Amino acid sequence: MTSAFWGMALVVTVNAVFFHAMPRFSRPDILFGVTVSEAFAAGAGRALVSRYRAIVWIGAAAALAILLLLQAPRDESGRGAMLMTGVMTGSIVFAHVAWQLARQKARAHAVPPSDVRVASLVTRDTSLPGGVLFAAGPFAILLATALLLYTYLDDVPDGPDTANPFGQLAFGAILVAMMLTMALTLTRRSRQIAVDGPAAAVEQRFRRVNALGLVLAGYAAAILMSAVAVKSIPALGDTLSGRWRFVLLPLMLFNFGATLWMLRVGQGGYRAVAPAARREVRGDATPDRAWIFDVYYVNPRDPAMWVENRFGLGYTLNYGNWRAWLLIIGMMLVPMVAGRLLF
Amino acid sequence: MAGALRVSLNLESPTPAYRQIANDLRRHLVEERLKPGDLLPPVRQLAVDLGVHFNTVALAYRLLADEGWLELKRRRGAAVLERNAPRAVDRRHVDHLMQQLGQIVAELRSAGMSSRQISAALHRLAEGARS
Repeated sequence: MTSAFWGMALVVTVNAVFFHAMPRFSRPDILFGVTVSEAFAAGAGRALVSRYRAIVWIGAAAALAILLLLQAPRDESGRGAMLMTGVMTGSIVFAHVAWQLARQKARAHAVPPSDVRVASLVTRDTSLPGGVLFAAGPFAILLATALLLYTYLDDVPDGPDTANPFGQLAFGAILVAMMLTMALTLTRRSRQIAVDGPAAAVEQRFRRVNALGLVLAGYAAAILMSAVAVKSIPALGDTLSGRWRFVLLPLMLFNFGATLWMLRVGQGGYRAVAPAARREVRGDATPDRAWIFDVYYVNPRDPAMWVENRFGLGYTLNYGNWRAWLLIIGMMLVPMVAGRLLF
Repeated sequence: MAGALRVSLNLESPTPAYRQIANDLRRHLVEERLKPGDLLPPVRQLAVDLGVHFNTVALAYRLLADEGWLELKRRRGAAVLERNAPRAVDRRHVDHLMQQLGQIVAELRSAGMSSRQISAALHRLAEGARS
């Protein structure tokens, strides 16, 4: 069997596992992105989930069988590889279709959103995880690298085809600023769903772990751009090359640990508290009609910039909020423009 | 600040949203569950949590600030003030409230409550507000 087969088989299997697990991540009264009663989700909804999972695995098994047939004999023209890629992509699309079909069925049991909204009057911590000094760390790394480069200014290569290492550092600073903006808006402009008690505490921890992930992504961006900038100076590049990965290792470990924790506790950390402690929590405080394919939340009447994902874990932007669009435009345009101007 | 301090909003209520928020807050203030020095959440945080426009919460805070309950703090929400001595009685406002109370009493009577029961209930509410 070829390595291409194993690679594609792995993608098909991981995709099936991902879609199999997806209903587990949602809050207990959200099924396939639809707000239902917890009684339905725990009763008849389970049969719906089982049927959906069976369809996902049948699709994955069929894709694996076709991949097995296609990979022998070897096709010199490359058509076989194209077909195999098509089958792999088809299995991913198939799983999405299975999700949407199950969603259609769940919609028949949707419950209307509550007319009563409740919020806590207790102020919560909306600062950046680790504090301002910790958040300024990536900028300090970039600044230190810039000072280091400055001492080797004569060795900085010059010419129209050579990237400017200071430009690379400035680009890194822009990336870091964007990560920190995302982290800050996530802590300040996302809704607290559980009002108080242990459910609220774990939800806040869940949000802060996500925000910390963004701050650490800022560190990763600063380290990577510093590595790229330093590499352009021969005297430094040879000394430091390869050592950056050791600096990145703790960040990757955190990311891995945080992902595992979130998988375990589910969306908003709901599985980390006893059902009695979250009996007052209903849905995710967003109306079903504002969700497009469970992925895009568009609600201009909602002041929240970030809301909990309905497809997967973590948070997504409210595409109906103009502040969110500032962030989106910033995320798309600033790196493009800066990349052109600074490199 | 004691736990389980909440503010609620009924979207179907004919009472404007800012009034509902102000009424809930006032109840906590009168019942001294919110004490002088306590900080209320920033306007934007409460607005996001309730899913209403920032101005709605700002209006509720301003209403209570005008009544002498709160001191508004820029970007930091509002702080509860000491409010021992009642300010000068606003006769028109009191008359309006008494008129509303009269309507509620009439509705309670027509719902079957005796005047003694209504009186006891009002007494309980008034005492609760003082304790």
